[in-house]
Amino acid sequence: MRWSKVLLVFRKDLSEVSRNWEVMAPMILVPVILIVIIPVMVTLVPDSMSGSGNANLMDTIFPNLPEAVRDTLSPLPEGLQMTYIMLVYFFAPFFLVIPLMVSSVISSDSFAGEKERKTIEALLAAPFTDGELLMGKVLVSFAPAMGVTLLGFTLYTAVVDALTVGRFGFLLLPNLTWLVMILFLAPAVSLLGIGATVIISSRVKGFREAQQLSALMVVPVLALLFGQAAGFIIMGPGTLLALTVLVLVADAALFGVGVSVFNRERILSQSH
Amino acid sequence: MAEDLTKRFSGLTAVDRLSFEVEQGEIFGLLGPNGAGKTTTIRILASLIQPSEGEAYVGGLSVRDDALRVRETIGILTESPSLYERLSARENLEFFAKAYGVDEPQTRGARIRELMEFFDLWDRRGDRAGTFSKGMKQKLALARALVHQPGILYLDEPTSGLDPKSAKDIRDLMERLSQREGQTILLSTHRLEDAERLCDRVMIINRGAAVSVASPRELRQRATGAHVVNVGLREVTETLREAAEAAEGVKAIEVKDGALSVTLASEGYTPILVRGLVEAGGSIMHVVPQEVSLEEAYLKVIGGE
Repeated sequence: MRWSKVLLVFRKDLSEVSRNWEVMAPMILVPVILIVIIPVMVTLVPDSMSGSGNANLMDTIFPNLPEAVRDTLSPLPEGLQMTYIMLVYFFAPFFLVIPLMVSSVISSDSFAGEKERKTIEALLAAPFTDGELLMGKVLVSFAPAMGVTLLGFTLYTAVVDALTVGRFGFLLLPNLTWLVMILFLAPAVSLLGIGATVIISSRVKGFREAQQLSALMVVPVLALLFGQAAGFIIMGPGTLLALTVLVLVADAALFGVGVSVFNRERILSQSH
Repeated sequence: MAEDLTKRFSGLTAVDRLSFEVEQGEIFGLLGPNGAGKTTTIRILASLIQPSEGEAYVGGLSVRDDALRVRETIGILTESPSLYERLSARENLEFFAKAYGVDEPQTRGARIRELMEFFDLWDRRGDRAGTFSKGMKQKLALARALVHQPGILYLDEPTSGLDPKSAKDIRDLMERLSQREGQTILLSTHRLEDAERLCDRVMIINRGAAVSVASPRELRQRATGAHVVNVGLREVTETLREAAEAAEGVKAIEVKDGALSVTLASEGYTPILVRGLVEAGGSIMHVVPQEVSLEEAYLKVIGGE
């Protein structure tokens, strides 16, 4: 594989994607809502954290927290306990939505969009190998997804710590759970979105169709969110590492299928 | 060179045992109706798809075994312009120049400028390709196909979908290009005026199979059948008519619009006919071989299938 060719495809797709507002708008808006607006609301309106609904959430999540965390939280008022649980545990799965969503949106544009805009034939006729094209397009989806995730995590940490350190007396983030999630699980989840989109794009004709179908990949992440709220699972480092391994196995399977469907003849026969 | 090239798609034979050879520097046309298998043939020869049977060599490279090198060797204008509409005209050419290995920035810049000036696009180099008219897009796509100075060029329906003025512009450019750059060109078209004006030889294909391979002139002559010349005279007299009838090789004579329409056994009898008429005192204004148009020849070949 010639990396100069991979990077050429990567840079070309990046230029294209960055000029497409259908792609850029969700990439900017969703993280801003998840990372800034919701945490600010949770932190600045502490009274909202002590309603009866949240009391139920406390009952289900609190007993499952690691002992050291329970000991730290026990002396605190219930509102602050709830703020901690929301900011450190409840919002964590949202950070898996970001790499998944960003990678799916970009790869939908890069794979299905190129077919839809009928630019694929000249690209396939150029002297790239299938592997170079695929790798360039995977990279252009993966790198921005992880960039947005890391930037989002840094911003979220800064916002949360700035708003809460005065009341808690210590920094809520980063902690080991979040580092494992951002550095291991998020990249694996991002690859999952790309792998699924490569396969979906080989079956559909357009960017929007691919994007809508790949959005279904968010369902397992929502299951994680509700599983945590219901007390079935708590996102600790061990759980997240186990999930990372599971997702990587799914990545390998999806990419195996993705590589087999990404060949010139198949793509051309479906682009008309 | 193609040998028994065949392509089947789930039971449908798109290309059926095509064999032909294109000489270096020649403009060779694939002429046929929509769905005849022209694009599939071009795609096989561009190593974009593999033939089901048969083999083809492009510049001595096998389309089956040397796909990457075949793609490096050729320039291709695909059926749709395939331009990145959010990128500028120059960015489009930059990307493909690098893809085809024009790595040295100065050489690349100079080549891009040369092509954009040739195609009258230099003033719009910074504009997004999406803002271009159809004709300008086609010019840019043609520039893209030429950016790495390929020795072999494939043009798939280069004037399709263009208005008559833009189509003529593209034809003029292709003619100038073939004269200036001396490429071997494989031109796929269903437009007879493109084939007539540009091609040294054409292969008429229908339902994937070759029907006829010849120069446009030979095709017209074959379709005409007998060799007919129109001899324009200052005055058509009975003496001249009798002189023409007496000339060697003359099979039939007809007086049409003040001229003689003479059917000859072959083209070689034309000077004998002319001499006979002059000796009989005729003042010859013109001698024009009468042939069917390429369109008529094409319809005859396709219709006789």
